[in-house]
Amino acid sequence: MDAFSEELMGFVQKDAQVEASKDPVPEIHLPWLSQHIQRTGSHVQKGTNFAQTTSICLNFIQEALLKHQWQRASEFLQCYLQTLEDINSQKRQMAPEISLQHALYLLHNGMVEDAYRNLNQAESWRYGEMSASQEKLIKLIQAYRGLLDYYTWSKKRTEVSKFDMDGFATNAATHDMHSYFRQASVNLHEIIKIPGVWDTFVKSYVEMLEFYGDQDGARQVLTDYAYDNNFPSNPNAHIYLYKFLKKEKAPEDKLISVLKILHQIVPSHKIMLEFHMLLRKSKKEEHHKLGLEVLLAVLDFSGCTENITAWSYLAKYLKQIMKGKHQEWVQEAWSSRKDWWPTFHFSYYLAKKNWKENRILALKKAFTSGILLGKGCKYFMYVSKQGHKSREKSIKTMKKFVMKHNILDSEER
Amino acid sequence: MRKTETEESGIQMDFPDNLFPTFFLPGPPGLSDSPASYLAPAWSDYMQLLKPPQTQDPSINPQHEASYVTKWGRWKSDTPGPLPFLLPGADPWDPELMSQDLLFRGRVKQPARAKATIDVIEQLNHFLWDHGDIAFGPLGMLLQENFNLGETKKSRKNKMVMNTEWLLRDLNGYQPKGCPWAHLSTRQRRFSLLGGTVLGEEVENLLGGLLHEELETRWKRLLLDEASTGGALGWVPGAKPHHGQLVYPTGRAHDQLNFQKVKLSPTKEPQALGDPSHILLRGPVRQVVTRTIQGEALVAVRSDHHCALWRLGHRGPPEPLQVLEMEKEATGISLSPHLPGELAVCTRSGAVCLWSPQHGLRQVHKDPETFVFKDPSSWRWADFTAHPRVLTVADRTGIRLADVRAPSDCGELLFRVGAEASCQRGERVLLAQYLGTPDPLPLSPTLHLVCSQFSLYLLDERLPLVPMLKWNHGLLSPPLLARLLPPPRPEAPLPLLLGGLGGHLRMLHLSGGSDRAPQLAAPPQSLPSLIDSLPGFPVLEPHGQQLLQDRLRAPLTGLAAVVPPRCPSPTMLLFQLSAAGDVFYQRLWLQPDTSSENAGSSSTDHTEDLGLNSHSQTSATSSLGTVSEPSAVSWKPRAVACCRRWLKTLLQVPPTLPSWVPPTFSQHHLRWLKEENKGKVREGLQAAMAEGRLLLQGDLGPLPPSDPPPTHEPFGTEDKLSERLEASWERKGAIWWDSQLDGSRLPRKRQSREKRRTQLSSSFSSIRSTSDFSDVNSPLPHSSKTPSPLHRMSETSQSLELSQELWVKNIPRERRQTLRDYLAVLPSPDSGNCSTPQFQNPSSQSLSTSEPGKCSVPCSQNPRTQTLFSPLPESSSALYSQNPNSQSLYSPEPGFNSLFHSQNSSIQKLPSRHTPTLAGSQPLRKKPRMGF
Repeated sequence: MDAFSEELMGFVQKDAQVEASKDPVPEIHLPWLSQHIQRTGSHVQKGTNFAQTTSICLNFIQEALLKHQWQRASEFLQCYLQTLEDINSQKRQMAPEISLQHALYLLHNGMVEDAYRNLNQAESWRYGEMSASQEKLIKLIQAYRGLLDYYTWSKKRTEVSKFDMDGFATNAATHDMHSYFRQASVNLHEIIKIPGVWDTFVKSYVEMLEFYGDQDGARQVLTDYAYDNNFPSNPNAHIYLYKFLKKEKAPEDKLISVLKILHQIVPSHKIMLEFHMLLRKSKKEEHHKLGLEVLLAVLDFSGCTENITAWSYLAKYLKQIMKGKHQEWVQEAWSSRKDWWPTFHFSYYLAKKNWKENRILALKKAFTSGILLGKGCKYFMYVSKQGHKSREKSIKTMKKFVMKHNILDSEER
Repeated sequence: MRKTETEESGIQMDFPDNLFPTFFLPGPPGLSDSPASYLAPAWSDYMQLLKPPQTQDPSINPQHEASYVTKWGRWKSDTPGPLPFLLPGADPWDPELMSQDLLFRGRVKQPARAKATIDVIEQLNHFLWDHGDIAFGPLGMLLQENFNLGETKKSRKNKMVMNTEWLLRDLNGYQPKGCPWAHLSTRQRRFSLLGGTVLGEEVENLLGGLLHEELETRWKRLLLDEASTGGALGWVPGAKPHHGQLVYPTGRAHDQLNFQKVKLSPTKEPQALGDPSHILLRGPVRQVVTRTIQGEALVAVRSDHHCALWRLGHRGPPEPLQVLEMEKEATGISLSPHLPGELAVCTRSGAVCLWSPQHGLRQVHKDPETFVFKDPSSWRWADFTAHPRVLTVADRTGIRLADVRAPSDCGELLFRVGAEASCQRGERVLLAQYLGTPDPLPLSPTLHLVCSQFSLYLLDERLPLVPMLKWNHGLLSPPLLARLLPPPRPEAPLPLLLGGLGGHLRMLHLSGGSDRAPQLAAPPQSLPSLIDSLPGFPVLEPHGQQLLQDRLRAPLTGLAAVVPPRCPSPTMLLFQLSAAGDVFYQRLWLQPDTSSENAGSSSTDHTEDLGLNSHSQTSATSSLGTVSEPSAVSWKPRAVACCRRWLKTLLQVPPTLPSWVPPTFSQHHLRWLKEENKGKVREGLQAAMAEGRLLLQGDLGPLPPSDPPPTHEPFGTEDKLSERLEASWERKGAIWWDSQLDGSRLPRKRQSREKRRTQLSSSFSSIRSTSDFSDVNSPLPHSSKTPSPLHRMSETSQSLELSQELWVKNIPRERRQTLRDYLAVLPSPDSGNCSTPQFQNPSSQSLSTSEPGKCSVPCSQNPRTQTLFSPLPESSSALYSQNPNSQSLYSPEPGFNSLFHSQNSSIQKLPSRHTPTLAGSQPLRKKPRMGF
């Protein structure tokens, strides 16, 4: 029975780290377990030991903070720090983290120099042996310092470009700038090798590389950031690469291949509309087909249901496709949507709502619904009826087109 | 409909173009204490750093947005704690099993490594004494042939029959419980030597395992009651802006679903409009989900083995749409924010289905194994995403995005308990919730909330595995409830409420438009829980105080919050539902923070952002421990009056009996009963058994002139002192006094109380029926019927009656009489010292067994019960059996308040506690003990 309770409850104290190496996956740890046991009462020692005191104190602090009783919290915090002072060496190792947080705070408040000093101190902090995590943390601190160097660099750059300085002053400023660039690039280059989300660092680094004409280096950094499998699939990485390539005037095929990957990761991204236009302009027919799918995929998402640009693109493109006798594309793309798009986009409720709130949207959607669902569709019927009442000009042409071209009829044929 | 700015802009799905730096280190949880873990709580505070220096030069004093507190003010309550919203129900409530009931209380050998130890021996001991019928019953049946229980017909010539009369007489009524030095006669010695091994081993082997299993389940449920995940309190906004309905369960079994219309007022307290309409279900309501989509208000309910969907019209009763029955326990249900009437349901089998009344069921995912690493929990959860065809499927180890159209098991992970999110050792997913709504919010519709025991995570489905925000919530109970609210003002941050099962509440303030990563706009706040309202109630006698405290400490099982639209000053109404069925509310105001205005001028002040300055004036006067909070609100007379009214009703609710009653079972008394009584009792029992009805007191003749308990001694009507004493003894002192003052006497309430079906026994037998027999294809009575949870519950509690019938069928005709005699004499009304008040009450055994039967009467008679069933696709038919029987499972009978209430009210009028009708059900209270 003892084994039972052990496996069930684990330990109340957090000294379970000894067992950490035994099993890879520990049992669920419930922080409120100790409460249950304390409530039972009798077997818990009356006199609380040091660990309990500190944890109680910590709880008080937390509670006071959450109730926004700052005064009370700070008083508890003082007690807490006093009790901790000489005992907990583990907590001391957290000093760099605290410094980093403080530096971030200072940065947030615009005190760049203070933050810089703080980061410098944090970097040089040594207490006992450095653990692997601390090593990474130091890298992060260095990266932030690099970012600050980049800020200074960028400030200097604007200064240089803004003011007409004599040759000597320009030279000195440029030299100064370059030294900041070197400091920054070393640190930034280090951090972006480690898997992570480094948007700010990458952007700063690339900007500096571009400034000094190292296009290949910049492209390499961006490509690695986007396509390294150890990194999380960060949509921004693809966007940065795409924007860089676009600025470089890279061939369209290249741009399309970058966005194709992004389309697979985040089909709802707003850049997909740009992608659609890119595909439409392409000469390949498969790109034209993909263009339809990209557009429909954007409209699949709940956040894009009222995106008027997407709807007008779709209306226009459907018209073009139907005229171009590619109904089978529409049918193919429609097959995975026909069981839910009618309720999702083309319900009677939405027809009324859209017509009331945004007529243009309603007209675009009505046109699309007519092509996809035929003239019997509720949405189409409601909007064309309302449009007829209010003598909307486009209604007639819309009706005419839908009568001629819709995928329902073409299916029957 | 609320309109927000994002609605006009169309696109809400811009991805933030600059994310906060973070490491991405795959690995098991807690392995690498990655640096992010230290930074995590601070992430959100520094998100603004992300603004690229081109647009915001950091060297210039940044124009960072004024902090939340100075810009929007603080949420403040006008009462120190929540106030009762609805009067307490007629059903008594007592706290469930507590840790004290299970844990070992003895001395611990290693105090340094204090750990919870379940006192199994004590539990087993109690079990054997309290539920001997279950423990020894089957053995008793086997041995019955060879023992004479005193019947004359049994031939004494038969050498194989032993007369127990002498054996029992030897025992002389003693129960040598655990006493090794008790005197033993030769007969006893022989019996225990011969039978001891059989009895002992059997019981140990069979019961030990089962009890062990049961205790384990109980203990786990005590620590983490996952059934109430999601919450059972729903808010449905009405057609008018300040109207709506609360949907919540009440009743002892949480089986009565209530729809309470509520009127909100911008300035006054919310009002309940009339009485709620009820629907009586055949199972406990675990989760209530509400959603208004495309103008259609829907309510989905999860019970243990059923899920149901209703549509709420603006008028008329709720319209039932469909009921789903599942073999394995359902663990989660959610309503789609995109398509009306579409739901995601998951069960303990590991299956997740998309369900809609029109299209039936569609299995999305099925995997009994957990995603990331092996975890024994079979809890599953499903919710929707920004894409109507993609669901999130969660288990304790992670969350997966599953495309309905793609073959199952090939979605990517959205969240993983691991180093990526800097999870701790032993961390698990407790709640996963999609934060998107049908109405667009000024927040990206791709966000998902994940709660573990330690932290809260916000994840964007477009960037899986990397939390956008992490916050250590520090709740000391499982966070199973979360509600995201619309902003109280345009552009103000969105309140996100987090509720722990233990009543702890946290409010976070989320900001971040569609193109910004979500961030905390202000320090999180803790909100008062029900127990914080205790000072608002008058002080009671110890009994009453305990009752009140227990009631206020009841687990928080539901949370609903409303931000009434178009209020001059932004307010929020917070409704809380406790496990006792109480609905409390609290009103919060977003008030401009006057104290921090001075601090606003010095932007370099470190403390300003956190509002640390706000109480600088008080710092000189206040000292530790006696901190006077300037923002603290006091109890206003109006609030106190509200609490008082509620309490008055609560004290009128009859108290429950303790779930555990010490046995005072005496063989001696039972066996050697007075002859004249015996005959009548036997006849009565025979008649009742023949007719298959309940045994009433009338069947057994007049009550024996038993000694009434001394406290109940009538001293005459004029004896006010003893009346008053009696009233206060029953925690009704105040009521007595009131009634004296009013001059109108309250009728003394004698409630028909039901002894709670002792939980251990029921679950015990339920285990037996499910785990042991399900493998064998034996037609069990319950498997052929609809396995509605309550039904099953009743059956298990009916085990007594069932087993009686079985005995009658199985045993030889000539022996039945013996058995009947035996049964008849068992619950002697004057048996022993039944002066304890409990014994005057009807037993739960009989009542609770009859109760479901009664409840089903209005259900089956109700012609309006219409539960539609749609043809199920073959893929899921194995999982969800399509059972035509379940048509009567849910009876939408708004007019139902007949049975329970009328019953109760009639009972309340009963003048005396010596009521024959009540005592009539007594004889079945005690279960026959066939083993010795």
